[in-house]
Amino acid sequence: MSYADYLAGDPLIITAALTGGVHGKEANPNLPETPEEIGRAAAAAEEAGASVVHLHARRPNGERSFATERFQEIDDAVRRHADDVIIQHSTGGTGAPDEDRHLPLRTDPPPEMASLDMGPLNRYDHLTSENTRGLVDSLHEEMIDRDIKPELEVFNDGHLNEVHQLLERRDLADPVYATLIFGPGTLTPPRPQNFLNSIDNLPEGALFNTLGFGRHQLPFATMGTLFGGHVRVGLEDNVYYRKGELATSNAQLVERVVQIANKLGREVATPDQARDILNI
Amino acid sequence: MTCPYLEYRGESDGEQFDHLRAYCTAAERFVQPMRADICNDRYDLDHAEHCEIYRKHTEEGEP
Repeated sequence: MSYADYLAGDPLIITAALTGGVHGKEANPNLPETPEEIGRAAAAAEEAGASVVHLHARRPNGERSFATERFQEIDDAVRRHADDVIIQHSTGGTGAPDEDRHLPLRTDPPPEMASLDMGPLNRYDHLTSENTRGLVDSLHEEMIDRDIKPELEVFNDGHLNEVHQLLERRDLADPVYATLIFGPGTLTPPRPQNFLNSIDNLPEGALFNTLGFGRHQLPFATMGTLFGGHVRVGLEDNVYYRKGELATSNAQLVERVVQIANKLGREVATPDQARDILNI
Repeated sequence: MTCPYLEYRGESDGEQFDHLRAYCTAAERFVQPMRADICNDRYDLDHAEHCEIYRKHTEEGEP
């Protein structure tokens, strides 16, 4: 994808990452944690322009859960409140056993999409989410079995090598869809030249989603929009609306990128258009 | 065994929550949910190995 794709006017897929699994209400009290809160947030994000919601599950006190039953409660709430939004489950899980990482894929019905982390990510000072190739392959195998579209999460440019290697050892349905992630730590340093370099290193024909952490969310969403990619925003990745001002909702962050897309003349995809683009 | 610095509180310093949340008495703040899994030694996690706050306070000889 490229600036030419922007000029061609392909619709923009907006993913709202509603809750995450790292921080919670201690970081922003507006972050949804319970199934009911997540369901309502999904509906508001869809109304604002999101076609995909990226979901993690939590216990009642906000702590992480990987249980299929908890994801089921969340999906049921999303379907109760939202219209037609695409449900994407996270399979991330720092410190969780590999078998637990499969549990979010086993709801009924399965999610239409699920994340697939392409390699290691450091957390805090003494912890790494390993995401071995063996785990990547086993998660992908189950996604094939359940007809789930993988969203390849690329934490840094080394993980683009992993994407190419994954394509050499496994069959992925077209189009390959990769989220390029920019921010601190293990992530790709958030600089425009790195963004352009990452796009250049994508496999031929791959579509990309753009994710900037924290204050980089808005500028990288704008760059993603301008270079024919898609964008992810939400309280999982950024709890602020602007410096010193907490975001009031996920929908507020979605509305802002919709405004940018509108000003740049790029149509925002409906859930059905997103399904067509992603071949779901 | 959970971290000795872990407590569950519903409020602190003006912050209030509907459910009791993980609070680190060493750092004197509510901790992130992911870090709470370390505090509780859940999954493959161990506070003595994975938590820099516990390690720092232990190295400094605090209780």
